[in-house]
Amino acid sequence: MSNRVTHKHSRVDFSKPLSFTFDGKIYQGFAGDTLASALLANGVKTIARSFKYGRPRGIVGAWAEEPNALVQIDVGARTTPDLKATQVELYDGLVAARTSGWPSLAFDLKSVGGKFSRFMPAGFYYKTFKWPSKFWPLYEDIIRRAAGYGKSPIEPDTETYDHKHHHVELLVVGGGACGLLAALLAGRSGLSVLLVDDQSELGGYLLSMPNMTIGGLDAATWSAKIIAELRSLPNVTLLERTTAFALHDMNMIQAVELMQDHLLHQARKSEQRRERLHRIRAAKVVLATGAFERPLVFGNNDLPGIITASALATYFSRYGVVCGNNIVVLTSNDLAYQSAVDLAEAGIKVTIVDVRESINLAWAARFKALGIMTYMGYGISEAIGSSEVKGVQLVKLNAKANVVIESGPLIACDVLASSGGLSPTVHLFCHDGGRPQWDESKLAFVVSANARANAGIYCVGAITGVFSLCEGLEKTFATMFELLKSLGKKIDDSELSLETDEITASPARAIYRIPTTAKAFVDFQNDVAVTDIELAVRENYRSIEHIKRYTALGFGTDQGKLSNVNGFAIAAEMLGKTIPEVGTTTYRPAYTPVSFGALAGAHVGDTFEPRRYTAMQASHTQFQAEFETVGQWMRPWYFPKAGEDMHAAVNRECLAARNGVAILDASTLGKIDIRGKDVREFLNRIYANAWSQLAPGKCRYGLMLNEAGMVMDDGVTACISDTHFLMTTTTGGAAGVMSWLEKWHQTEWPELEVYMTSVTDNWTTAALVGPKSREVLAKLCSDIDLDKEAFKFMDWRDGTVAGVPARVFRISFSGELAYEINVDASYGHYVWEELMKAGAEFDITPYGTETMHVLRAEKGFIIVGQETDGSVTPFDLDMAWAVGMKKPYSFIGKRSLARSDTARTDRKQLVGLLTEDPNFVLKEGAQLINSENTTPPVPMLGHVTSSYYSAFLGRSIAMGFVIDGIKRRSEEGNNIVYAWADGKAVKAKIVSSVFVDAEGARHNV
Amino acid sequence: MSKLTFSPVMQSPLHHFNLNANQQPIDTSKGVWANEITLLGYISLRGNAQNVLFTKAAKKALGVALPILPCSLISASWGYIYWLSPDEWLIVCARELHAELQQKLEAALVGNHNQVIDNSGGFTTVFLQGKNASDVLHHCTVYDLNALTTGKVVGTTFGKTSVFLHQHGNGYNLIFRRSFADYIWRYLERSALPYGFGIANLGSS
Repeated sequence: MSNRVTHKHSRVDFSKPLSFTFDGKIYQGFAGDTLASALLANGVKTIARSFKYGRPRGIVGAWAEEPNALVQIDVGARTTPDLKATQVELYDGLVAARTSGWPSLAFDLKSVGGKFSRFMPAGFYYKTFKWPSKFWPLYEDIIRRAAGYGKSPIEPDTETYDHKHHHVELLVVGGGACGLLAALLAGRSGLSVLLVDDQSELGGYLLSMPNMTIGGLDAATWSAKIIAELRSLPNVTLLERTTAFALHDMNMIQAVELMQDHLLHQARKSEQRRERLHRIRAAKVVLATGAFERPLVFGNNDLPGIITASALATYFSRYGVVCGNNIVVLTSNDLAYQSAVDLAEAGIKVTIVDVRESINLAWAARFKALGIMTYMGYGISEAIGSSEVKGVQLVKLNAKANVVIESGPLIACDVLASSGGLSPTVHLFCHDGGRPQWDESKLAFVVSANARANAGIYCVGAITGVFSLCEGLEKTFATMFELLKSLGKKIDDSELSLETDEITASPARAIYRIPTTAKAFVDFQNDVAVTDIELAVRENYRSIEHIKRYTALGFGTDQGKLSNVNGFAIAAEMLGKTIPEVGTTTYRPAYTPVSFGALAGAHVGDTFEPRRYTAMQASHTQFQAEFETVGQWMRPWYFPKAGEDMHAAVNRECLAARNGVAILDASTLGKIDIRGKDVREFLNRIYANAWSQLAPGKCRYGLMLNEAGMVMDDGVTACISDTHFLMTTTTGGAAGVMSWLEKWHQTEWPELEVYMTSVTDNWTTAALVGPKSREVLAKLCSDIDLDKEAFKFMDWRDGTVAGVPARVFRISFSGELAYEINVDASYGHYVWEELMKAGAEFDITPYGTETMHVLRAEKGFIIVGQETDGSVTPFDLDMAWAVGMKKPYSFIGKRSLARSDTARTDRKQLVGLLTEDPNFVLKEGAQLINSENTTPPVPMLGHVTSSYYSAFLGRSIAMGFVIDGIKRRSEEGNNIVYAWADGKAVKAKIVSSVFVDAEGARHNV
Repeated sequence: MSKLTFSPVMQSPLHHFNLNANQQPIDTSKGVWANEITLLGYISLRGNAQNVLFTKAAKKALGVALPILPCSLISASWGYIYWLSPDEWLIVCARELHAELQQKLEAALVGNHNQVIDNSGGFTTVFLQGKNASDVLHHCTVYDLNALTTGKVVGTTFGKTSVFLHQHGNGYNLIFRRSFADYIWRYLERSALPYGFGIANLGSS
């Protein structure tokens, strides 16, 4: 490992060597390495091929800003695409692969096209593959194959994820020097503090500048002391490897913690999460998110071996990796100097090329002492090399204008580091509407420390444009003083010294690109060159948001962390505007990519969605029920016996209900207990029909309308006493109806004395259906007179069933003799089993929702949500009988029924439909039209709402809406429609929707 | 009609998990311990808290005054009264006591507009304790448990559904609807996995 140096500040553990695989080749690294640092240490320079031109690319950054080093980590179910090698912690046995470069990294097919890159400008795909338009799907397929990085896992994820909610008085985002100081001051004041930091180790950029001293201590000792104190405070929580990726209104911050991916496979615990999504609600937020260094833009600036100066410093100081032996540092500011000095001290040859005319004397002296050659007033027009950087072409720049005066020397090098200044990490600040301001003195979009203090958001450190450590710490102190004072807390600065040994920085030069004729890239990940921005401006794109979308500047997994500000500045130059006039694009969550697993958390598998079960579930499972979800309830759909398909099962279940006895679990229906002296009046207003005369012991069906007069729910309501009614609602509508009742009572009719409470879960309901149901019930019930005269249709009775207190309703959704037996749900399973036992001699048949639907359709009973869709009045349903227009007080929806549109007689109306072919079952949703000629335009008369095969009738039946259908039903010659679906128009006759027992003889027995 | 004889059997909402078969005495081996407190009596009560006649009559029947402060609960010798909304309470007691309590309440409240309902089949209670009980709940609910002081009960989120939640001893009680029980228990189990999840022997709590 020729690129390793050992020094006392390195954070890698040279006593713990690790081996890993990249692209099929085995390499050595050390504990504490990232994949990127280990690859650089092994001299691996090319790790990717570029998106559009297939150019070789190397590692540029050291953290989340990295645009090139997207790698595929791990294999099989654990494989993860497009992680940045700079953020992947090394463990023994790690398997990584490139995500670009086909057929290989050494030769990429796209690079052949890349040679003609001047023929592939921004908008190339839009412009080229436009014609003929029908070929686009083909073009798209080919383009999509060529584009993209990495591969999604195809095996199910074997890992688990979860969410955790936090409520803290203060959240600090960022564990660099200023973030640590902020957390310490807040922690000492007694606030509950959470600090999140995205790296494996706290310290931020201090880890890259270990020779700096703070308060007389070296940076590592200073931060270790603070971290130790923070860990000792019970009111402070530190979360490492945790990236705050979104800041929402009211200071809700989302952060994702990587919990296991840094561990050796064998060390990962199956009971532990792979990632955890933290949802943090913080009264105050301190953003100490720092800054990323942006590179300068020049010709061939994308060659492997060209990195940012801060990355150079980080790899050297933190990981003991020298990226080369002959390094050129190109800079527009003083920030890059320290790394040059550090490397020179380690014996590496360093040359500085500074675009500024003069140099700070203190630095000049140090450079001289170390033999660092400096070129002042020079830039680099282009890097030389084909697969990696071999040298640089210097150019002398005009002292003021950004123009080349003359060519300079050609210098050989194996690494070129550049610094164009720092771009504060303002992303979180901007997520909920904050905007950064351009600061010309800092050459950066910055945010102010307390501009959003009213919202509880404070900013400290480099995010505010303060790039000197000492000044950053002092201003952090001042900001925390203000914050803590606003909370009535005192600041405790004991044993804190914030002085550093920094050399005062000279002003940076405002320069973003160095003039060149060679290809100069702004955004590496999307292959956006200076010429692309030029082209966008030439083609009259004016807004930076449009230039971004035309060129793809700032897209991708790095979201332009390195490239955006350069792009804005270059666009400004070309538009003849200032940078603040051009402004920034919009910063939106997520700051860095977040896995679907983390977002889903526990909402997967059997906890994906609440599954509501009735007390009879065990019986249903035992009888092999297939289930369907209704309003989160798991309802038996049908009960297939061995060898039966759904149709066979449903036919059998239907015939059992019509000819013998069958049983349905009706527990899921909403049940609302309503009491008070005004309960009848309340129901008169809530329902379309009248409730004043319903006697205790009786039930009635009711239609509930919304204000527009449209049917919203239905159900049977029983009069328990003059002041006590029990309402049933549809399964899916229960919660909505409950809120509806409360809303009308609380806001419109508070004078009515009624209270209502949901008893849905308290009762289980077994519907015993069929001609033999009375005989079955009689075996279990001795205290209710089941005689047809004593216990009539639409009556209810209290009694006991199988020894359990029960309320039995003689109501029917099938048209058969039926009893709905309600018991305390604790006894639900027991009573169901007793009913099954009692019914065994009659071959009692459990049935599900599908049979329930067929039985009710045979009777023409509607299902709210199937026959209704929010645009259907009771009259449209031919249910005028369920509307009490003469009630003294109005009811909800009454006035709307008088609107000209609802009152007209030629609306779409519900009718029955019979096909000519009794075996043809119409398609639900089929359009109903007047003729079999389907040549457009075809007037659409309505549609099929319900359609089944009726085993009892031995033919198909259907219901549907037809314009003026009620009249047409009885008009011979005008009663034929065609149902159009699947390219066929099938003839059907409009008939009554009651197909079975119109006179009600079957249930009145 | 002949007299029939039956032996009715009750099942709690979490019956199918067969929790008691797997229960153990609480120790430090798990971060979280939980179990269902099965088949309690639940009475829903509604009435006007501003009406002194109502509150007095309720107090007479229950032996303790109804909690009137938002989100408060009162512990009585026979169980708990939870404030659910300004005119709504949930009364929880042993199943054998609830009929008597309900009758007393109904009798005392005659003439005062009210609603007294036996909702015993509709609810269940799970208790949760152990050193990571709060951690587990923080995975399940957005509620700030630091704000859940003794004597406070809140209706809050739990995964994609809701529970009533209060501190109980050195742990928590979760009260929720029967039909959501399966989901809530599975969610709790999943959330507790990293901490170690034990089914607590009720006698040891």
